[in-house]
Amino acid sequence: MSNISTLIWPGFADTTRRRVVLVIRLGGLLGLAGWAFSTPGIISLPSFFALLNAISFIGCVAVGMTFITLTGNIMSLALGATLSGAALVFLATLTLGVIPAFILAILFGIIITALQGAVIGWLKANPILVSIAALALLLGTAQIVTSGQSVYPAAPGSEIFKTRIAGIPISALFFFVTVAIGQLILSYTRYGLAMIMIGSNPRAAEAAGFRTARIIMVAYMLAGAFSAVSGVLLSARYGSGDMELGAGYDYNAIGAVLVGGTSIEGGSGSVIRTLIGVTIIALVEVVLILRGFSDQMQYLITGLIVLAVILLHALGEGR
Amino acid sequence: MRHTLAILLGAKLRPFTIMVGAIIVLALIDRGTGYFFSVGTAFSVFQLFATLGLVALGLGLSMMVREFDLSVAGMMGLAGCIAVMTGVENPWLGLVCGVVAGVVSGGLQGLIMTRLRISSVGVTLGGLLTLQGMTYVLTGNRTINYPNLPVSLTLSKPIEGLLSLRSAAALAVFVFIALVMAFTRIGRDVAATGGDRRASMIAGVNTDRVLVGVFMASGAFSALGGVLLSYSLGAASPAGLADVLAPAAAAAIIGGVSLLGGRGHPLGIAAGVLTLCILRSGFNAIGVPPPVHEVVTGAILLVIAIVDAPDLVRELTRWRLRRAERRAKHEAAQP
Repeated sequence: MSNISTLIWPGFADTTRRRVVLVIRLGGLLGLAGWAFSTPGIISLPSFFALLNAISFIGCVAVGMTFITLTGNIMSLALGATLSGAALVFLATLTLGVIPAFILAILFGIIITALQGAVIGWLKANPILVSIAALALLLGTAQIVTSGQSVYPAAPGSEIFKTRIAGIPISALFFFVTVAIGQLILSYTRYGLAMIMIGSNPRAAEAAGFRTARIIMVAYMLAGAFSAVSGVLLSARYGSGDMELGAGYDYNAIGAVLVGGTSIEGGSGSVIRTLIGVTIIALVEVVLILRGFSDQMQYLITGLIVLAVILLHALGEGR
Repeated sequence: MRHTLAILLGAKLRPFTIMVGAIIVLALIDRGTGYFFSVGTAFSVFQLFATLGLVALGLGLSMMVREFDLSVAGMMGLAGCIAVMTGVENPWLGLVCGVVAGVVSGGLQGLIMTRLRISSVGVTLGGLLTLQGMTYVLTGNRTINYPNLPVSLTLSKPIEGLLSLRSAAALAVFVFIALVMAFTRIGRDVAATGGDRRASMIAGVNTDRVLVGVFMASGAFSALGGVLLSYSLGAASPAGLADVLAPAAAAAIIGGVSLLGGRGHPLGIAAGVLTLCILRSGFNAIGVPPPVHEVVTGAILLVIAIVDAPDLVRELTRWRLRRAERRAKHEAAQP
């Protein structure tokens, strides 16, 4: 994990097949870069900020999703709803002040996912099933509480998350901090290493004396916290929130995680890879916009790229 | 008493027990006002069944062989759009085009999975995004109207008060698949592949072919569901169908399909879908707001997730042992 080359390109060329795949992968990246930089207007500041903005909202959720995928729990379908719920909590508690509201929103995200992580960790319940149950419970409860209405800021102050520091949008800063924290936890704490161990071989991890249940719960709590960050940023950007806010973010997030090269089976991957995945997808989207492709073509091409990258990774694993 | 309960809650009968339970609970809430026990409610239950059932069947079949076909949601939308665009003159042509698209997409994804040995979640996630993209491109991100009104009316017209042509078609597909699973070698091979893939391969089952076949079937069923829905609505739109995945998975799981594979039956899936539809229509009929339905569904799913969790018994035993130990210590400490 420490070697930077294996971090970015898993299975650094040791068989012919892997070498070929590596060449294709590098060629693809170079082609993408060339295609991107030959696009008129890509280097201008506005499109750079458009790219940063496009990255940060999905990026935070994707960083959270990375922990779930890494521990071998595939994906959660409830992170989008957690994001929306955290946004509602943030907007409704703004009367207490911006920072308490922010903390409450993060706490909300952590609690929601900690409960799921507990059931999944201790009872080994199926993660996808639990996340679908959580999704239904979150959507239903939120609709009852808000009676289906959009929630508007209870007090001013959320605009602070829309401002820029030295020209860089705050949301992008939050995303970079999220990536940094995520990768630090993963690489330099006991919990992070244990997560990778559990993902690659849960029984061995248990036999080695890891408290697997607790570690899985922590992975879920991190996912909830990072999704909640995205919820706060999004609600500040739109100035209102409802449960539609995070709809579809789960799929985009897992797409970014897989494009980055984190294994769907768990045990191999990193937050940096997810950052790369998010960047690739966002770069493609921005280039497509600049080249005047319609929204529709963007959806299609993004889908095809996700599919292609997943195939390429599978070939690269050489199984 | 305990024995009967064990049978009723056992893997085979549980979907039907839950369904009857849902009916009883709703009947108790209804208390003879007749809103719940009406032909109208039954009709709307079967209409919902037609929308959700075929997707749930496709997804459930893939889950029976320990895979997970996320692309069903995208296929449903794409097939609906294809049918609406190609089937204006001749609805059968649209139907065939839509279903063929489903078979092709399922077959391609199945081949990719078996040839490259990739897990289905990754491939079908890419498939889902791609199919959704194709739907957006085809429709130009607009709602496409289906001008052939007689077809829409025929599909939704009540037959005998209970069924429509659409829901009858969905039910017929379920019965057909149940027969295939029960009486043919294909059915046995699918069940065996789900139960233990390596053992079935050694026993001579061509598991790769089974997998590709299951994904083709899954694509075809979700496509058929999409075509019928778009025909009867008289319109197809790229958005709005993405929300179908969670309820379809919920229906399959309530229907006794295990995500660990090897367990599940088409009729069980039908019961699972019916349970969801009965809850939704029933709550509507007796005036419970829709969010409550969502919460109840979520709670049922959570309970099933916990009951089915492999380590539930172990954790319970461990907890009980610890308590007994503490009590013994406590008693030993007292003179």
